[in-house]
Amino acid sequence: MNIIVCIKQILDPEMPPVKFKIDAQAKKVIAPEGIPLVISPFDEQAVEAALRIKDAQEAKVTAITMGGQSAKDAVKHVLAMGVDEGIVLSDEAFNGSDSFSTAYVLSQAIQKAGEYDLILCGRQAADWDAGQVGSIVAEELGIPVVTLARKVDATGGTVRVERVIPDGHEVVEAPLPAVVTVSSELGQARLPTGRGIVMAARKSIPVWSAQDIGCDVSRVGAGAARSEVVALTLPIHERKGEIVSGETGAQAAVNLALKLRENRII
Amino acid sequence: MSDKFDAIVVGAGPAGCATACKLARAGLEVLVVERGKFPGAKNMTGGVIYGPVLDSLFPGAPGDIPVERAIGRHVICLLSDRSSVSLDFNMAGSGDRNGYTVLRSRFDRWLANKVEEAGGIVAAGLRADDLLWQGQRVVGITAGGDEFRADAVIAADGVNSTMATKAGLRVNLSPENVNQGVKEVIGLPREAIEERFGLTSDSGAAIHFLGFCTRGVHGGGFLYTNKESLSLGVVVQLKALMESNLKSVDLLESFKEHPTVREYIRGGTTVEYSAHLVPAGGLRMVPRLFTDGLLVAGDAAALVLATGRALEGINFAVASGIAAAETVLKAKERNDFSKESLSVYEKLLADSFVLQDLKTFREAPRFLENQRLYQTYPELACKLAEEVFRVDGKPKKKLWQLARQEMKGRVSIWQLLRDGLSARSSL
Ligand SMILES: Cc1cc2nc3c(=O)[nH]c(=O)nc-3n(C[C@H](O)[C@H](O)[C@H](O)COP(=O)(O)OP(=O)(O)OC[C@H]3O[C@@H](n4cnc5c(N)ncnc54)[C@H](O)[C@@H]3O)c2cc1C
Repeated sequence: MNIIVCIKQILDPEMPPVKFKIDAQAKKVIAPEGIPLVISPFDEQAVEAALRIKDAQEAKVTAITMGGQSAKDAVKHVLAMGVDEGIVLSDEAFNGSDSFSTAYVLSQAIQKAGEYDLILCGRQAADWDAGQVGSIVAEELGIPVVTLARKVDATGGTVRVERVIPDGHEVVEAPLPAVVTVSSELGQARLPTGRGIVMAARKSIPVWSAQDIGCDVSRVGAGAARSEVVALTLPIHERKGEIVSGETGAQAAVNLALKLRENRII
Repeated sequence: MSDKFDAIVVGAGPAGCATACKLARAGLEVLVVERGKFPGAKNMTGGVIYGPVLDSLFPGAPGDIPVERAIGRHVICLLSDRSSVSLDFNMAGSGDRNGYTVLRSRFDRWLANKVEEAGGIVAAGLRADDLLWQGQRVVGITAGGDEFRADAVIAADGVNSTMATKAGLRVNLSPENVNQGVKEVIGLPREAIEERFGLTSDSGAAIHFLGFCTRGVHGGGFLYTNKESLSLGVVVQLKALMESNLKSVDLLESFKEHPTVREYIRGGTTVEYSAHLVPAGGLRMVPRLFTDGLLVAGDAAALVLATGRALEGINFAVASGIAAAETVLKAKERNDFSKESLSVYEKLLADSFVLQDLKTFREAPRFLENQRLYQTYPELACKLAEEVFRVDGKPKKKLWQLARQEMKGRVSIWQLLRDGLSARSSL
């Protein structure tokens, strides 16, 4: 079975908030210096889903990422987790791509990469939270998509997915090839092993350009974006403190309860 | 995959990368393991690489080395709490340069890339946990739960070297032979830097401070110019710091508030903060440098020269790394990685500046224990300068009279003479 996982590097969600800067005029996020990008956690779980399938049966897992200078680091990380091959898609022409053009680029690369049975993506990238790429990749390739998986089994030409719904999960089956997007309920992604890291360090990672994957350049990059950022602002955090007092400890507690009630907190 | 390598290098700092680069270029199969997410991720240094040490590995240096600025101006600056006296050696305009400033996260990454280009394998995000032994001989390492074997292991894992410690080559660090450094990288526009420090577009300045920067604690301060930032920090002896009940962060804060320093960093924003230890014991602290199957290089072997002014560690790390590689290449020819065969390493170091400089300055650490260096003398210099330059309408005194006046209650003439003689013999 050939499994392809699409991964994306994002700003580290754990980085200190003061480092997060935007250019409101250009409506762009300014990349902070010195803080390496990380793989979007949902994508890491998509890799985990692929590796669980590979644990149980003969399978080859290929990771694909579209990105800049540091994209190789993301690929190295998943190779160290146990992924077999990694491919970086990098081209000036891709800059400013939205979900739609990103999905187009990915689907071109997937077709070039060879035969595929299952394509896994994270449910959404943990930076912009758009959650569209997986579905559009399926559309581009003309295959079914199942979103929000918490468990993925693929055997004998079908994929069986436990799909998260608000009050539990439903089981969905689709014929392969298909796209499945993976949710956090799948569980923790595995850590790389020592041997995995060394093996990954040994692998060469091909970098494909727009031309390499036969992209129609009018469909990629900022110019081809179908979505538009109307405004970009930083949330304002306001902290207010108030000390509730009373004659005795018990009285202070009563006053606190009254205050909370007044503000409809309890 | 075969897990046997010709050599395993622990640590992708300057020492480890120099070793690996040289070995890989000679066609050996080399594995470098680095615990940081990427080489340089958590490393810090003041910032100056002194001398031509990189030239032998990278002819035409700096070439594409990501250096910040080439040093054209060296300043030694004595601080009292409100003024300063400097000795300023300026060759910035002459085109002559000595040393480069670097930022580690960029520099280490570049070095590691060179290792990979030469065919070495750099496994980042992997910590070496232990040595593998076969009898008395080191035959590899364990990392991430797996075993990796090699003919030779090079411990280039920095000041806290677990590898050298596990090999029983060194004792743990003690507070009197290790310094703690804290540093901020302060972002400033390129033009502001060049204007403030009187630099041309490619030249840089290195300023070393003594006195108020450490509030009298055994240590010093530094300020180096990068392309678009300044590296500002203090380095203090751990023992003196503990006895002073001060924290190095607080020292850095008050250093930044000093009127002389404040003007240099005005309008800048702190973009990075880091803290690190650095060996400071001189030759006495250098452990046994090798055993069967193992060599120790760089900070792991305490190969750092501290003379109270600058710290030279990167050049020592690179030079010892290269010597370690040469040793392994010779051992490989003989196919003998025993202690006896690896003893070439010590000879190579003894013939180079590495052990020679440490020998020349073997008394420096003892000399630097002198408390007067960090308070009395910087204050005296500032006071004296104040008196010399002040015109206040009263009759003037001769320099010597002024000096005697300011020394009163601070230091006796005999102490001054003794310190002078001791400086002569140790520095
Ligand atoms: C504040 C300060 C200012 C300084 N200023 C200067 C200066 O201006 N000029 C100068 O020449 N020197 C300076 N030095 C000294 C210089 O930084 C060091 O001497 C030099 O970095 C030593 O290089 P190294 O490769 O031996 O060790 P390091 O640079 O410490 O590298 C060791 C590497 O090993 C890795 N490692 C450690 N343990 C493990 C493990 N178990 N498994 C895998 N990897 C591991 C670490 O992550 C690190 O990457 C300064 C030091 C400090 C602290």
